[in-house]
Amino acid sequence: MSEHVIEFEGVSHWYGDTVAVADLSFTVGPGVTGLLGHNGAGKSTALKLCGGFVTPRSGSVRVFGVDPRHDPAVYRRIGIVPDHSPPWPFLSAVDVVAMCATLRGVADPRAAAEQALDDVGLSDVAGRTVGGFSHGMRQRVKLAQALVHQPDLLLLDEPLNGLDPAQRRQVVDRLRGLGEQGKTVIVSSHVLQEVDRTAARVLVLVNGHLVADGETLEIRTLISDRPRSVRLAATDGGRSLARELVAAAVVDAIRFEDGELVVETADIERFSRLLPAVAQSTATRLERVEPVGDDLESVYAYLHERARARAR
Amino acid sequence: MNAVIVRLTVRALLLQRRSLALAALAAAPLLMSFVFAIAARAGANHRLFYSTLVQELFLPTVAALVALVVGVSALGDEREDGTVLYLVATPVPRLVLVGSTIAAAWITAMVLLVPSLLLSAVLALGSRLTAGDLLWPLLGTALACLAYCSASAWLSLRVRRPIVVGVLYILLWEGSIATFAASASKLSIAAYGRALVAQALPQSNPPVAGPVASVVVLCIVVAGACWLGARLLSRVELP
Repeated sequence: MSEHVIEFEGVSHWYGDTVAVADLSFTVGPGVTGLLGHNGAGKSTALKLCGGFVTPRSGSVRVFGVDPRHDPAVYRRIGIVPDHSPPWPFLSAVDVVAMCATLRGVADPRAAAEQALDDVGLSDVAGRTVGGFSHGMRQRVKLAQALVHQPDLLLLDEPLNGLDPAQRRQVVDRLRGLGEQGKTVIVSSHVLQEVDRTAARVLVLVNGHLVADGETLEIRTLISDRPRSVRLAATDGGRSLARELVAAAVVDAIRFEDGELVVETADIERFSRLLPAVAQSTATRLERVEPVGDDLESVYAYLHERARARAR
Repeated sequence: MNAVIVRLTVRALLLQRRSLALAALAAAPLLMSFVFAIAARAGANHRLFYSTLVQELFLPTVAALVALVVGVSALGDEREDGTVLYLVATPVPRLVLVGSTIAAAWITAMVLLVPSLLLSAVLALGSRLTAGDLLWPLLGTALACLAYCSASAWLSLRVRRPIVVGVLYILLWEGSIATFAASASKLSIAAYGRALVAQALPQSNPPVAGPVASVVVLCIVVAGACWLGARLLSRVELP
């Protein structure tokens, strides 16, 4: 079997004049992959394309080697958590999940449903109708129905929406566990920390374009030419260090904030190499060296701005 | 046919508030029969009243509108609220899915309509009632409803305002144009339903086709709508 569970080849889709996804080409294999982007970036459309709920205007989408729109049998291997589609409100949680299990050919749907609800922490309220559930509980019912047939591929659109921190942690652990078991999990989110905690690989979508694809570290490397900020805490206030760094032409700007030095540099590697030597030469003792805005959020914001600038 | 989807859809349709309005609409002929039964003068033509009631009101208007609304709701509402995703994301073939929702819509329509039809016959005809007076209208209503439900389900996937299009078809085409132009009635579902009713009850205009041809035409409408609906379900964007 191909390692590529999902294959996008030159996929574009648009609504009227609005481009939802543009010329997307990527493959996804086992493990957890995060689909990251701002609202309207094309994450949900990309997931719908994976699920066969949208016909691409151009290009092709293959899941387990087939087009799910024309081969529904593949849904035995797919679990889907849609973002805006609560399950039938008049059914109990266990009925919703058992029904989904029945339709996907699970041998003992009731037992499987009870197990899936137990896995998402809803066994106590399994008999209650979904209409009376909170948003977080409905999210977990959606997750349970997606897991009930033990699929090889999970497509999750904003699965952590409405969950409290403890539930989020539980779901993140579960998804990571599934990834470690060799299942393919795609999680979309506009909250960077969620993806950061859940996924080993990240696909970043901006305005329908895939602007980055790889591990978080790889994405950072990819954009290493962007200006970076570093906060330095020095024993003597760092004035002599600042002077030498400017003289060495390794920084673009320096400012003092709360008695600490914040430097901006376009060449972080050279800065990293030079800093110890410069500190030694000025007899400055560095107490702390801390990157500023080096989290995924900043990377994403930078990619976002870069793509928009290119589009303009 | 998938029994799980049929049961689910029937339940969803019957639990809607609009089912109460549809039940009230379905009861309108029953009310008229009741009034006729208690107010008819001696020598009144009971058979003519019942025939007119079924062929001019019940089948082409009441049954058609009820079937239109439940047919549109069966797939349209699930598509609108997103629950259709949980059905589509299963190995159930699209044709079976569409066929099952149409079957559910038809069962719902019949639950709403059949008591009214049967009781109307009993009230209007009383001791004059024969088995044929019940069976042919029942067959005509059942097949016409199935055709309406199928066409409505297809419409709900095809157009943005399926109820408006359906009402225009029922009132403008079937209720107006097809009554003037004989050839236009060949494209009227109600006309084929009436052709079946005419086997037992008198009809003012000659039927559009014989009973066998009417059944065949209505079955073709059902099959065509199912097939087109399944094709559309594979192509339309789901929420």
